[in-house]
Amino acid sequence: MNDYAIDDSVDITDVVCPVTFVKAKVAIDEMEDGQILSIRMNDGEPAQNVPRSIKDEGHRILRLKDNEDGTYSLIVQKRGD
Amino acid sequence: MAFSDDQLERYSRHIILKEIGVRGQKRIGEGRVLIVGAGGLGAPAALYLAAAGVGVIGVADADAVELSNLQRQIIHSTPDVGKPKVQSAGEKMKAINPDVAVNEHHVFVNAGNVMELISGYDFVIDGTDNFSAKFLITDACVIAGKPFSYAGIIRFQGQLMTYVPGEGPCYRCVFVDPPPPDAVPTCSQAGVIGAMGGVIGSLQAMEAVKFITGAGKLLTGTMLTYDALAMKFQSVPLPKRPDCAVCGPSPSILHPFDYAARVCEGIAL
Amino acid sequence: MNEADRGGVSKEYDDGLTVSELIGIEKVRTPEYVSVSVNDEFVKSEALGGTILRDNDVVEFLYFMGGGE
Repeated sequence: MNDYAIDDSVDITDVVCPVTFVKAKVAIDEMEDGQILSIRMNDGEPAQNVPRSIKDEGHRILRLKDNEDGTYSLIVQKRGD
Repeated sequence: MAFSDDQLERYSRHIILKEIGVRGQKRIGEGRVLIVGAGGLGAPAALYLAAAGVGVIGVADADAVELSNLQRQIIHSTPDVGKPKVQSAGEKMKAINPDVAVNEHHVFVNAGNVMELISGYDFVIDGTDNFSAKFLITDACVIAGKPFSYAGIIRFQGQLMTYVPGEGPCYRCVFVDPPPPDAVPTCSQAGVIGAMGGVIGSLQAMEAVKFITGAGKLLTGTMLTYDALAMKFQSVPLPKRPDCAVCGPSPSILHPFDYAARVCEGIAL
Repeated sequence: MNEADRGGVSKEYDDGLTVSELIGIEKVRTPEYVSVSVNDEFVKSEALGGTILRDNDVVEFLYFMGGGE
């Protein structure tokens, strides 16, 4: 039931808080308004905090997908600046 | 400019801030700030601006580090005594952040060089220790249309204000002319508590970063004063002086000039 | 009875008080070189003696601070 097309993706499993969010934020910044980013992150702290931080920035969370390998993919639509 | 992983980590606490973000940090990296005076005010300002990653930081100072500076000028260390302040400051700034380019201006700022000096920068921090220099920087910045942060400190007191062209009054609106020599004591005669430069100089760095990034509201049209003994900050609204000689509608000061050199102020603090 | 506001505090003074007299009462350290605003307008130094304060006037003193090094 994917009703979206991924425009770009970023892997933040290689960094720790707060650089996880920073790396995601930089990736979002490089996209156009309305485009969709897939963010691969580790379970635990990143999966708990990164979605909330991105939501606080005003972007739209479309989905949080369990990759069943200890990582999640967060699908985000960029909203405004 | 794309950030390296190291830069993302270094600036992560800035980039996380909504008001700074990726764009703001990029602007900081492209920013150019001149600090006049690497002393009590200039020292913390230079350290914070270097840490923030301001692309080009100019430091103008003709003096060498003296033992009596070290009580407050935290950018200089004991082994630096005798070294030009611009060199000592430059070494510390580059050690904090190799991303930063430091221009060492080993000169006394005067009417002959001030316009050229400020022309290469977006924002000027007045960290000087005498009225002649403060009026010179004000005149030059107003004439050149250059935003700047004024500050003064003495004993347990400090004050600062920001001038942005077309907005708010200038330093000369407030004080008109320097007081006669020795009428008002300077730090070397009256003393100053070391952390005062830290408080006020850091606020100047804050204004520079806010100006560069566009975050928040600048300290224009207001003098912020700090009394450390009463532990009170006060915002004093500043009117414009309609007949200000430099920023008024018909200015009489069209070129920067030096007030007569004053012997007591020539002594290095 | 006149009331002037200074340093964020309200104080009461005698009627007919001039800015010069206020400078004396408030023991301004360098009275010749203080910058004074009344109700968001600077008072020229030559006019300090002739400026009479009224009820609810807001007076601010700004002092020279030459230090920085």
